[in-house]
Amino acid sequence: MYCNQPPEKPGNKKELLEKITNMARANSLWVTAYGTGCGSIELRPLGTSRFDMERFGIAMRPTPRQADVLIISGYLATKTLKRVIRVYEQIQDPKYIIALGSCTINGGMYFDSYNTLNVLDKYLPVDVYVMGCMPRPEAIIDGFSLLMQKIKDGRAHGWKHYKENLDYYRENQKKIITDWDLPDYNW
Amino acid sequence: MFANFSSIALTILGALTWGLLLGGISRSVTARIHGRMGPRVTQNFIDLWKLFRKTSSIHHGGMFWMAPMFRITGAICVLIMVPLVVGQNITYNMSFAGDVFLLIYIMFFGCLGMALGAGNSGHPYAVIAVSRGLAQMSSYELSFSIAVVAIAVGLHTFKIEGIVAAQQAGITSWNIFRFPFASAGALLAFLPMQMAYPFGIVLAPQEIPIGPPTEYSSRMLSFMFSGRALFGVAKLILFVSLLFGGASSWLGLFVKTFLLYMYPVVVSSVFPRFRTEQSIRFLWFIPTTLALVDLVRVML
Amino acid sequence: MIDKVKNGFEIRFPLYKLVREQHNYLHVKVDMVSAMDAIVMAKTSLGHNVLQLISTVDRIEDGVFQITWILENYGACTVLLISADFPRENCLVPSLSQIWPAASAFEREIFEMYGISFPGNPREGEDFLLESWKDTPPMRRDFETEEYAMRVFGERQPREHIDPRQYVGDIVGEWNTPMGRKRKEEK
Ligand code: SF4
Repeated sequence: MYCNQPPEKPGNKKELLEKITNMARANSLWVTAYGTGCGSIELRPLGTSRFDMERFGIAMRPTPRQADVLIISGYLATKTLKRVIRVYEQIQDPKYIIALGSCTINGGMYFDSYNTLNVLDKYLPVDVYVMGCMPRPEAIIDGFSLLMQKIKDGRAHGWKHYKENLDYYRENQKKIITDWDLPDYNW
Repeated sequence: MFANFSSIALTILGALTWGLLLGGISRSVTARIHGRMGPRVTQNFIDLWKLFRKTSSIHHGGMFWMAPMFRITGAICVLIMVPLVVGQNITYNMSFAGDVFLLIYIMFFGCLGMALGAGNSGHPYAVIAVSRGLAQMSSYELSFSIAVVAIAVGLHTFKIEGIVAAQQAGITSWNIFRFPFASAGALLAFLPMQMAYPFGIVLAPQEIPIGPPTEYSSRMLSFMFSGRALFGVAKLILFVSLLFGGASSWLGLFVKTFLLYMYPVVVSSVFPRFRTEQSIRFLWFIPTTLALVDLVRVML
Repeated sequence: MIDKVKNGFEIRFPLYKLVREQHNYLHVKVDMVSAMDAIVMAKTSLGHNVLQLISTVDRIEDGVFQITWILENYGACTVLLISADFPRENCLVPSLSQIWPAASAFEREIFEMYGISFPGNPREGEDFLLESWKDTPPMRRDFETEEYAMRVFGERQPREHIDPRQYVGDIVGEWNTPMGRKRKEEK
């Protein structure tokens, strides 16, 4: 389901309520189970008893409808970007993006590939980058705690930024997706 | 009248809190069995609040919105009809002769509403899960109903209050000892009711990721969760009243429901999952036969 | 085992070139016109009835695409590779999709990646890996990958290539590798 209107701009919420809610948001991050590159292999151990992400309230959800976090786990092909945009826009607000690996930061070892994009930030608003090729589960957990801190401080505004600068992001996305057939915004 | 209303409201609130807390405890118990730390026990409250405050912009038609309400309604109906604590009149919210049959029907009703709503969402996984769930429900509901009828016929009362009152003469008068076969059947039917493994074909995270609630998001999902917690507690209280002699004090109620809740948790964390037809075949034969044995015994 | 296959080729295609031979492996090269006949013969009378893969090499120096069909005989555990050269300009290769329906997928992939057309393939031109690719097919060697990546994905400077020998070669003298040790002994 989607509609062809631009998304409404988020307004200011009540302060105290927002603070309490931010605490709740930080302690219950649900991740869309969607892997793009090599990194999805490193995500699996997070759920096992050795690393156990559930103790931070992080859980995997199979559908973007119920998730808060989208993890871009490694190189992103232009073909995959189309799907990722769909998934990202279907996540309900507030939503965050964690990008793993040097491939998402500047192209990494695929910097001169014909179909993987180099700087993810131009196409989707990234809240936390975790560097490494591939980051170990410890590093990913570190990235999560950084995101939690950001949410608690109320600084994780990637999704607001995306909505406010939708034109900029769309322009960049359309530049590399030549057969653009997505609606104006996916709900 | 007012006392009645406030006691109902208190019951519902208490049941919700207790249900969510039990859910949190069960999550950490499962985690410990896996050898993990597991989440906090309050994790479910945090999740619920977060979900409640997320925006929601998904619409799939009227039934989609109604489904969680159906479930919550069913749970509340069960809650206010079953006496919570024996001897304290304030907890006898609404019980009347013949409410056993209404209860069995209403337990169906909540799941049916869920099924309609999930079917309306149009997601293929949700539809598959609903068809599996209804098939399984028709099989465990049979053994559960036969067990309840056996108990009711044996005690000559169709009122939950009467069934509870008949069990007050010490532990040996509990129905689980007076009707061992029917109780075994009902307890086996309790596993699929709680969607515990090996009967977890409805949520089956490996094939149909989470089944019915696939399309539900944010606020709707939080209602769904609270409905599930409420329904869980309602079922627990019903089982405690039917089989374990009701509760003579608040402490007894909490202890009994807690222990009963842990039973599917422990079972499900060590079992793999049946396939649909295996699960249904098992439920048609073993618990139903067990319950029938007692029914025949009582009739004779 | 493999002798029987070789005999078959000697009788039917006396001009074939033997590339490599092992006890269960044969790589032959035939000319462009008889490639199809050779494959049909391998399937019908030599028992190599499983198509493993169709691979392509862009030999830009010779102006040809070398196409290799890898056929396997599961009963006798032998592998047969049949190669043929096709001119690079307007390359047309007969399709195998009537013989092995699975060949259609390989051929679609080769069409996308090299621009080689397989007349007779019913699904040619359908999107396979790349969606709406407009440039030179990316696996051809006249496709400038780095230039393309810079133009489309932008911003990323190609990395500097540093030869470590320049810095440490003088210090350790010879490299402590098997090759290095060998060279030392030779001295
Ligand atoms: S950063 Fe390394 S591990 Fe990650 S996607 Fe790129 S190449 Fe793979």
